[in-house]
Amino acid sequence: MENREIQGILPHRYPFLLVDRILTIEPGKKATGVKNLTGNEWFFQGHHFYPPSLLLESLAQVGGIVLGSKAKIENPLVHFVGLFVGVSEFQFRRCPVQGEQITLQVELTQSLASIYRFAAEAFVGDEKVAGGQILLSFIKNPSGGSERPSAGRSG
Amino acid sequence: MYAKAIRRLNIINAETADWVERKKWEEAFHRFGHPFPTVVIDRVEELEREKRIKAVKWVTADEIYLSGHFPGEPIMPGVLTLEGLVQSALIFLGESFTRGKIRVSLEKVERLRFKRAVLPGDRLDFLVSLTGKEGNRWKFKGKAQVGAEVAAEADVILKVDVREVGFEL
Repeated sequence: MENREIQGILPHRYPFLLVDRILTIEPGKKATGVKNLTGNEWFFQGHHFYPPSLLLESLAQVGGIVLGSKAKIENPLVHFVGLFVGVSEFQFRRCPVQGEQITLQVELTQSLASIYRFAAEAFVGDEKVAGGQILLSFIKNPSGGSERPSAGRSG
Repeated sequence: MYAKAIRRLNIINAETADWVERKKWEEAFHRFGHPFPTVVIDRVEELEREKRIKAVKWVTADEIYLSGHFPGEPIMPGVLTLEGLVQSALIFLGESFTRGKIRVSLEKVERLRFKRAVLPGDRLDFLVSLTGKEGNRWKFKGKAQVGAEVAAEADVILKVDVREVGFEL
């Protein structure tokens, strides 16, 4: 899945779209995404590593794509909203630096009502740089039909 | 380059807001090795060494990241609320170590829950307190509030490495 299609699922745009490409996806189950760090990004003005909080957001956005792509297949007319509700037991081993490619692996482990728990891991090559659990909520858009699909919203 | 971001900050002590005091706060900010161009803290209001800190962020619609989060519908990204809590803890650490350079990294997010969306126009208070210490791992409990409503709660562990002990700055 290329960036263009990602933008059809997620409402995020520059400078807060933190996934470049989806390599493999099983809608509603798991996905592998990619984020490249080139050094031209806004957060690189002043330092050389990818901030851990933005790494969390990258993983949450891949989670939003997992849920959003399934919803798009099943109910293309209903608008859903994904909300970032929490993180638990998330360990950072090191911060990825400029010139590296981060592989984002996200897998759905549990769903309770509208809360979805994901096992999320970030790799640089074979090295695991961070891992833990993230929680997303996925609900029907209360405002009804907005003109664009809005899934994977966090906040 | 990070100094530019620091100059934007308006850190004051509630009691003595004179220049010397302010300089001291800025030096405290310089010492942690965790630069971030979008500093998520505008002001420190209360600080008790080795106990707790209260910092403030005024959320406004013309911030760079709000243009993409989301177009036409600005909401403060939850992860930047976390960043604000971590940065409050960093200032706290900078003040708890009076000498030497320290290098701080976010080691673990034990628990983080977002309870409420933060919108432009809100005033976000970061209340962070120290709950424990194990070797070089400092545990913090943080709460981000909009007025009396809790926007986010977090338990984080920061790893603190002291470098060049004995040198000022």
